[in-house]
Amino acid sequence: MLRRVRRGSIFQLLGFAAIAAVITSLVAVLVPWLPNPASDEAKRIHFVYWFTTVICIGVFAAVAAVMTYSVIKFRARPDDDSDGAPIHGHTKLEIIWTAIPAVLVTAISIVSAIVLAQNSRTGSHPLVVKVVAVQFAWKFTYPNGKSYGYLTLPKGRHVKLDLTANDVIHSFWSPELSQKQDAVPGQHTSLVITPSRTGTFPVICTELCGLGHALMRSHVTIIPAAKFDTWMKAGGQAASGPPGLAVFQENGCGGCHTLKAAPGANGTIGPDLDKLKQEAARAHQPLAAFIKESILKPSAYIEPGYRDAMPPTLGASIPAGKLTQLVQYLEQSAK
Amino acid sequence: MTELHEHHTAPARTGIRRLTGPGWLRVLWVTPIFFGIGVGLPVLIRWLAHWHPVWKGSVILTVELVTVPLGFLVGIGGFDYWAHYASGRPTVEDDHSSHGAKSWRDYFRVNTDHKVIGIQYVVTTIIFFCIGGLLAMLFRAELAQPGDQYFNPQTFNVLVSNHAALMIFLFVIPAFAGLGNYVIPLMLGAADMAFPRLNALSFWLLPMAGLMLVAGMVTPGGGPSAGWTCYAPLCSHQPLGQVFFNMGVQWAGASSIMTALNFLVTIITMRAPGMTFWRMPLLVWANFTTSLLVVIATPFIAGSQFFVMFDRVLHTHFFEPGGGGYVLGYQHIFWFYSHPAVYIMMLPGFGIISEVIAVMSRKPVFGYRLMALSLMAILVLGFSVWAHHMFVAGMAGWLRVPMMVTSMVIAVPTGIKIFSWLATMWEGRIHFTTPMLFALGFLSMFVIGGLSGIYLASVPIDIHASDTYFIVAHIHYVLFGGSVFTIFAGIYYWFPKMTGRMYDERLGKLHFWLTFIGFNLTFFPMHYIGLQGMPRRVADYAGRFADINLFISIASFGLGASTLVFLYNMAKSWKHGEPAGGNPWRALTLEWQVSSPPPIFNFDEIPQVVGHPYEYGVPGAKHAIFGAPKPEPVGTD
Repeated sequence: MLRRVRRGSIFQLLGFAAIAAVITSLVAVLVPWLPNPASDEAKRIHFVYWFTTVICIGVFAAVAAVMTYSVIKFRARPDDDSDGAPIHGHTKLEIIWTAIPAVLVTAISIVSAIVLAQNSRTGSHPLVVKVVAVQFAWKFTYPNGKSYGYLTLPKGRHVKLDLTANDVIHSFWSPELSQKQDAVPGQHTSLVITPSRTGTFPVICTELCGLGHALMRSHVTIIPAAKFDTWMKAGGQAASGPPGLAVFQENGCGGCHTLKAAPGANGTIGPDLDKLKQEAARAHQPLAAFIKESILKPSAYIEPGYRDAMPPTLGASIPAGKLTQLVQYLEQSAK
Repeated sequence: MTELHEHHTAPARTGIRRLTGPGWLRVLWVTPIFFGIGVGLPVLIRWLAHWHPVWKGSVILTVELVTVPLGFLVGIGGFDYWAHYASGRPTVEDDHSSHGAKSWRDYFRVNTDHKVIGIQYVVTTIIFFCIGGLLAMLFRAELAQPGDQYFNPQTFNVLVSNHAALMIFLFVIPAFAGLGNYVIPLMLGAADMAFPRLNALSFWLLPMAGLMLVAGMVTPGGGPSAGWTCYAPLCSHQPLGQVFFNMGVQWAGASSIMTALNFLVTIITMRAPGMTFWRMPLLVWANFTTSLLVVIATPFIAGSQFFVMFDRVLHTHFFEPGGGGYVLGYQHIFWFYSHPAVYIMMLPGFGIISEVIAVMSRKPVFGYRLMALSLMAILVLGFSVWAHHMFVAGMAGWLRVPMMVTSMVIAVPTGIKIFSWLATMWEGRIHFTTPMLFALGFLSMFVIGGLSGIYLASVPIDIHASDTYFIVAHIHYVLFGGSVFTIFAGIYYWFPKMTGRMYDERLGKLHFWLTFIGFNLTFFPMHYIGLQGMPRRVADYAGRFADINLFISIASFGLGASTLVFLYNMAKSWKHGEPAGGNPWRALTLEWQVSSPPPIFNFDEIPQVVGHPYEYGVPGAKHAIFGAPKPEPVGTD
């Protein structure tokens, strides 16, 4: 079959392949496919991505060229009843197109395996952050015992997330950090992140976890390592604030609710906690009882304009003493 | 038209026999009895055991979903012959009373003719294709803007879950079973399938399964909303409608296994004289490998859904972490079926494309043996890649690299097939009929889907891309650009054989171009939003994806509308199309050597296979000859 391909048609084929390669390369380069990486792991993942893309452009161009050429050159006229050349196969060609793809995918596998190993390395002294996922909030606990509904990480240090879930499977992902890991109930999983750029990036749940799945969003703020140490210390001092504030922060309430008194609590998924008084009035209940009921039985009263998205498991997981502190804190801040 | 067998027609039923004989009238009174059993049995047991409450909705519903379909099948006559035989009554050796169709009514009863069953399958699955497509357009309407517009998250999740479940279990898998049912016995030179009554039963399970999934959506209290993957433990705590999903999948799976078994026995034992394995058309090879996949893998999804149901109804702890259950166990069992299921949804399409490209290019399939062997390679490798769906799931870390390597290696036999199809077209005389356009559309889209599959096989890239819209894009390039395009190619290709009439070529081409363009506009941008950070299965999303989602939604409505052209063409051509003749494509395979539609027992004379099925351009070459000595007629009264 190879002998049948004339020199002229080889040039034409190469021409089609070049055009296809140029077009796909432009699509690959001009469209900003990946987010701007903010971790060392993301940069390595982007390298594998581009390595694979180069190979795929080559394969795609070859297939597109042969197909375009065939469609143009071997089109039968409507009255043409003749048959094509009875070519049954070509052993050399078949060996070539078995071997070349095998080599290419082996190359991608090797690069991928190396990057996977590098991206799993924690270094000798990683900062370990415990992550607990619940429907529908994240709780990040630092070595100093403080918990937050959002993540703050130091630039340039290895961070190991130790993930688990309380109810169903969730998945931690920040597009700029690229790393992703499911949080599985009854099991601990881990994820390594080495932030390389300061800024604030979204954290989203990517595993369908129930009604509030789309709203299970938080954010990660990356700050310089020196600033982070100060922040950790300041976090320790925050204990001097009202004890209810600590409970509020630990349980990630600010991810869904706005409360001016609590730093970082600017969520809009659930009702505005600065307007608790008016909300309690609408529910025809005394303020404290209303707050307690809304935490333990969130479906009992749904504020107009909001949906029944808060899981009852959230309130049930807070110990009684801490719950009282939280209710008192919310009651006072509403007054 | 002479017949090998005498055709027994059922005696006309009168009076009470109209109610006791198989059919819809019997369905009307048998099904309520089985409904009563379904209520009575669990209530009686709970009452005797002093379990409270005696009336428990979820338990009764679970039992109902076993007894009501059984009642329907008993009523319509799915078990009549076996019941007759088992009860010791005399049977007619060659009873063909339920064989063949003389009017449209014969398509609405238990029919043992593989040609009738094939059409029953294809029409039923297209109905579910339309329902599944409408669901997709509903949730695309919701996704046109961020925030909540038309559906709450529960309804949105139900729409997404059922779109996938209907398309996979009620369209792609059974549509291939339907086309295979019609064509395989004809291609083999056989009079019918090996087990015609099992064949009929396997069809009638299907509408049951479909109705169950549709009913699940409108269950009071909420439908199944845990995605088609239905991961535990989320799915164990879903509203009542989830039971419909768990049981619907069982019925569809049972149907699938019965058909696969039938295909295997038919292909192994019922080939015409001279039809060696190396002379079988590649469509038959493809269905042979697919059936092996189905028979081996499908029991695993049955198991996974039973365990979930037990966790819910019997309070077991298979996947409940609190009771010592293994959460990831669900995913391992589920994907041990559902990854091979991807090939179950792909290999029959490969077979169709091999037929269409060879015939329309007027050339032998390039590298026939390697084409068949690569199917077998995909079959074997297909069982060793399931955990590439679980790279971020938290399974044993060492499993990731081996699963990546096998997933990469499976690209090699797939590549062989693509290159061989291209080489088949090379130096051909290509006729751009509608089936050929769909075959070319498949080739180009499947290359894109295959290449995005390479990205996802690579563990680091998959860690970034999994559970995002990149996955949604990939799966639709493989299952829409792949499977659905091949199903359309197959339907157009065999339409003249099935109906005896030609479809409207201009409408067919219009349908192709609208589908091809609508498909790419809908799904290509999803690669981008996925990599940029939009997760899948969300009713609400970040505002920066608003414009592109609006674009995708508009394109998806266009894609949905293109189906109307197809439906109109099929309905119009079935009734008024030009008579097609026996062999409008000048094809060599056996199904084209008989009239369109074929005689009731397919071949008036048993063909003698003498050569390969794709010898286009070889002077004097023949696949089969007719006129071998005629066997004695059997089955006289």
